[in-house]
Amino acid sequence: MPPHEERAFFDAFDAALSGDAAGLSPWLADDSTAGLAVYRNTIASGAVDALTATYATVVMMTGEDWFRAAAREYVLVHPPREPALLSYGESFEHWLSQFPPAADTPYLAGIARLDWLWWQSWCAADDQLLDGADLAEISPAQLSELTLGLHPSLRIAAFANGTPALWLAHQAPARGGEHVLGRDPERMVFVRLGAQVEARLITAGPYAFLDALSRGASLLEAGQAALAAEPACALHQIIVTGLALGLFTCLTPVKRNTRHDN
Amino acid sequence: MSIQPAAGLGLKPQHYADALSDPAAGLWFEIHPENYFCAGGPRHTHLTAIRERRPLSLHGVGLSLAGDERPDRPHLLALRNLIDRYQPFVISEHLAWSRRAGTWRPDLLPFPRTKAALVRIASHIDETQAALGRRILIENPSLYLALNGHDYPEKDFLIELCARTGCGLLLDVNNVVVGANNLGFSAEDYLDNIPSNLIGEIHLAGHAPDPHLGATLLVDTHGAPVSDEVWTLYQRLIARIGARPTLIERDDNIPAYGELQQERARAASILSASIRQQEPAHAAA
Repeated sequence: MPPHEERAFFDAFDAALSGDAAGLSPWLADDSTAGLAVYRNTIASGAVDALTATYATVVMMTGEDWFRAAAREYVLVHPPREPALLSYGESFEHWLSQFPPAADTPYLAGIARLDWLWWQSWCAADDQLLDGADLAEISPAQLSELTLGLHPSLRIAAFANGTPALWLAHQAPARGGEHVLGRDPERMVFVRLGAQVEARLITAGPYAFLDALSRGASLLEAGQAALAAEPACALHQIIVTGLALGLFTCLTPVKRNTRHDN
Repeated sequence: MSIQPAAGLGLKPQHYADALSDPAAGLWFEIHPENYFCAGGPRHTHLTAIRERRPLSLHGVGLSLAGDERPDRPHLLALRNLIDRYQPFVISEHLAWSRRAGTWRPDLLPFPRTKAALVRIASHIDETQAALGRRILIENPSLYLALNGHDYPEKDFLIELCARTGCGLLLDVNNVVVGANNLGFSAEDYLDNIPSNLIGEIHLAGHAPDPHLGATLLVDTHGAPVSDEVWTLYQRLIARIGARPTLIERDDNIPAYGELQQERARAASILSASIRQQEPAHAAA
């Protein structure tokens, strides 16, 4: 078979997997296309299985049948790009926010975002943890020159409503009880401690502090951001809690972007 | 690692603790490397602990060696990193394709075994072995669709790939049984004609009849115990070629670890018997 016919086979097989088997007929030795259905099923269920594992809380809230049906539709529009299915499905949150059957549960997309962040935290690189004693040596003058390295598994998220508490309530369903979506803004931090991902609600101050550090701010700037967001917050408490949770990896000079004027 | 790999098991996250404490002689584990393409976390912690005690095999599902695109460089790099980290005793992939034009299909797809395909796939295997710095084994796929346009029977195609690239074969006995049933060839004839020196590993798994068509179409589900037919063919194969590292594969409907241990023990006893039979001949030689 010449090379152009080789390409034609792959084009035809691709089309057949998407439902149009007409072009594949020169290569089919008999009328039965039952084998094609085996391939189609395996492909669809492989991607759906991966989403089911990643979006465990969404599955819990919608039921597995609803989720798998929705996920099948997502897979048609956003098929996997690479064989490492651990990193598949990042756009599911956005897709879910526009999926008409989910219109009466608008918090589901936010739940999906938290599932995704949990999963990213779980898969992230390992790193050393900062020894709190290193912080005792800092003089006030150094606060604008130093910053804290954040653990690779740290993820933060802010919501205009109570999606994080709703998500948390589903992580320990044994406790039972109805949980309703709160109206006040909530924020969440994820970090991996040992083999477990720790998920905690945090207030506006610590959130602003971590958000600033993640953007490369100095300790001084991060502290100012925390106080601006939550004037009553205690900065030393943010540091102490962060050390205990393993949020920080090192104390390091701030990297300043060098401006290139042309 | 001084353990000589005999019969092994596919490693499943729900079995990490059981796997770590299993004292069986010759036990080894196999993983799909794509499931460990993450930077860190519990999966690597567990795998590191397993590797400290047991030989490990990397069995890839995503290189798409039979495709019409070259092997993906980032994928090869990620695989190389895992190889450097875990030092597997064997690395394998499939005679199938799955990636095309930026989309990856989680399956092992068929193709016409043409002369052009042979040249193309041999070059993909060459490129892979060069990038990994290791010889790889190629697995025969399970087949569901009778295609026109083959220039070679599958076994001849595989043997020719070995000759051209120096790769070896991972012979999946269940895939041969599934393909023989679905496409109408002789499983015995297929297995009897693969040269012994090319076979570096054997897979045993379960299959299921298609839910609509029944036993005329068998599906390689990896979701059931190894069938009697596969055991019989395996015993015949080992009697011919001698012992080879053999894996019990189970990826779906995963039972308690103890159930897999029993299947593994059955393979191990077949391997031990073959070694005992060969020993007197060695002593006389």
